[in-house]
Amino acid sequence: MRGRQLMALVRKDLRLELRTRETIVAMVLFAIVMLAILQFGFGTRDDDLTRFVGGLMWVTLAFTAVLGVGRSYVAEREQRVLDGLLVSPVPRTVMLGAKAIAIFLYMTVVEIVVIPLVGIFFVKGPYWDAIGWIAIAAVLANICIALSGTLFSGLALFTRARDLILPVLFLPALVPVVIAGAGATHAVAGGPHDMSEWRGYCLFLLAYAILFALVSVATYDAVFDD
Amino acid sequence: MTDGPTRIPGQRAAVIWGALATILVVVSTIGVFLIAPEDADQGIIQRIFYFHVAIAIASLVAFAVACVAGILYLRSRDERWDDVGEASIRIGLLFSVLVVITGSIWAKASWGTWWVWSDPRLVTYLIVVLIYAAYFVLRSSAEDDRKMRYSAIYAIAGFASVPLSFYSVRVAESFVHPVVFTSGGAAMPGTMLGWFVVSQAAMIALFVALLEVDLLGRRSERALRRLAMRLESA
Repeated sequence: MRGRQLMALVRKDLRLELRTRETIVAMVLFAIVMLAILQFGFGTRDDDLTRFVGGLMWVTLAFTAVLGVGRSYVAEREQRVLDGLLVSPVPRTVMLGAKAIAIFLYMTVVEIVVIPLVGIFFVKGPYWDAIGWIAIAAVLANICIALSGTLFSGLALFTRARDLILPVLFLPALVPVVIAGAGATHAVAGGPHDMSEWRGYCLFLLAYAILFALVSVATYDAVFDD
Repeated sequence: MTDGPTRIPGQRAAVIWGALATILVVVSTIGVFLIAPEDADQGIIQRIFYFHVAIAIASLVAFAVACVAGILYLRSRDERWDDVGEASIRIGLLFSVLVVITGSIWAKASWGTWWVWSDPRLVTYLIVVLIYAAYFVLRSSAEDDRKMRYSAIYAIAGFASVPLSFYSVRVAESFVHPVVFTSGGAAMPGTMLGWFVVSQAAMIALFVALLEVDLLGRRSERALRRLAMRLESA
């Protein structure tokens, strides 16, 4: 029963996105613009930014996540779908799970573009042999982003100045994810792989995901308690 | 019904804790600067440790209190728990800013620079300050019941973020800070430890005293509002 509800909600989000293509296209474009801005912001004519590869990648992904997470409830709010959802007999945790899965999928699409692009744009040393390890760290980070993002976007949804509140709430909570994502990337990209460091950061991301899953499940009922 | 000068509940507790905190802060300041032995290696600047670490631990206590108050608010929907949560985070945030400032001074004296990104403690507290500063932004942009509910949820999620921030900057394990407390116990002489305990007690008493005063202020405000309403209806 819950599985069917979950799948129905995820399908609703994806179908809406496939029809309008509002969020994902904007997220991908935003990420590419971010990469270009970061390059110019560094002000270097040097093509080899291997030393900064983790930062370039994860700053871009963090800001793109804020953008995507901020959009994630807009359709529900504007078309009053949310009211319908809230009176339907769907447990709040199922709503949480469905929204988190949708954000996870959006972020995955962005990363499929960003992670190779970072390699092409900035890294002149060995990179492609590490791409699998970076992808694993990215999947774990996506789970973290999806869970905390769903919680914070729910909190920001009915506040004044919602678009401003979300980054202020969400980015500090994302700092550990950026640290771990960038750390894991630096551990394997552009040189000899430091697998013990990579493993440490991945385990940290896993711990983050578990902790935020627990907090979200425990508090999500209260988010939409109107 | 008698309308004499009523005592606001908690007045006595605020006075007692205020007195206790004052005594402890004075005693610990005297002890730290005049009695505790000088650190052979770092000299006088090491004395900032007694305040820096004590305030850091007191701020964590404040955030823990806010987290528990958040849980209790969500269970009972009693606005008194919202008061406790907000007051605790306000004091905790003030303490965290002091931790960053004292840490920065210590860094300047020890390493010659105001800010060291490789020092996990300084960086962690910067993140903690950012997390809890956002709490007030959230509070100011929601109303009534929603404000209290969101604040409670954020106090819980924020407290979950604190250990995460701690560990995220430590995964790389680039310690430059003197590690004073290890799993094997405290690496300092007994008198230093004694004065540290006193200054820790002082900071926690200061937190409780500030909390009591803050709550007293809110209670008086509410009593005043009730009185005004009664006057209006009379």
